Amino acid sequence: MKMGITCVAFIGPQNNPMYLRSMDPATDDHYLKLHYIVHCALDAVEEKVLLKRGPSDSQDVYLGLLYPTEDYRVYGYLTNTHVKIILLLDDEAPIKDEAVLRVLRRLHSLYVDTTSNPFHKFGLPITSPRFDAQLEQIVALYPRPGASLGGFTT
Amino acid sequence: MSGLQPSPTPAAGVKKPARRCAEVCLELLCVESVRLFHEKQSGPAAAAALEAVGFRVGQQLAERYTRDKTRLGDTLEIIKFVCKEFWQALFKKQVDNLKTNHRGVYVLQDNGFRWLQRLSIPAAGSDAAREEAARQIALSYLHLPCGVVRGALCHLGVSCTVEADPKHLPSCTFTVRILA
Repeated sequence: MKMGITCVAFIGPQNNPMYLRSMDPATDDHYLKLHYIVHCALDAVEEKVLLKRGPSDSQDVYLGLLYPTEDYRVYGYLTNTHVKIILLLDDEAPIKDEAVLRVLRRLHSLYVDTTSNPFHKFGLPITSPRFDAQLEQIVALYPRPGASLGGFTT
Repeated sequence: MSGLQPSPTPAAGVKKPARRCAEVCLELLCVESVRLFHEKQSGPAAAAALEAVGFRVGQQLAERYTRDKTRLGDTLEIIKFVCKEFWQALFKKQVDNLKTNHRGVYVLQDNGFRWLQRLSIPAAGSDAAREEAARQIALSYLHLPCGVVRGALCHLGVSCTVEADPKHLPSCTFTVRILA
């Protein structure tokens, strides 16, 4: 069965990886591939940021579809503190931007709450089990392909 | 005590209101932390330690207060964000005056800095020594907010130093120097 979101990654301001999680059970090789895709996504993020430097363009946090690879579609989100949230989707059906945006916003909220923890160290990888659990909950809310969209409140 | 009634339990499905804390707790915490740090360490080390605490807090607050905001562009926008929304959230008012020399120095002026409100001010016309002493005391309480501002700015991508100058209490200016 094809999952919706296959991978979530948080990259810090200096392009340091803070968190990368595959929603499917993955081997080390698979993780390498995911790391590579996320790394390429960072270049796409920078491109989008430079493109939007128009005089009247309001700069959004949501960057939309960054680029499609052969297996996945990569979506990006850039916060004001230069943290990037990268989402890899495994969905072949047409994807609704609002659903992806909702998930990204919730992930952003989760990240903000996690950084408010005085024991959190900025720039280092996030290793909190609570973070893992809540991330899984948020990802589970993304409508699976074939399932009906309903009852999704922000 | 008969007048007190338990607050009504919220109806099912309604979000519980966010828990709040009295502001005096924050004031007491700030005052006590200054006293504690100066007790454990001597002058400059205590100042640096307080600034570091503020830096950390500033980073976290920057994350939180920029969460729902559209992306800030250049340095001036970030400074304006700090003067308006950040200051409003933290000190319940906006910065009163912002000056810049367009070469990387910004001066934020707050007439009535909230965290210095409780500091007793020497009466107008008292001698210079007393005013200087009051100024020194005020400076020791400003390391923490300087750190908060610096932490927020650095976390938003503006690397800088922040110095405070309590000219005429309770008004205070913060000088932000952008590091090249």
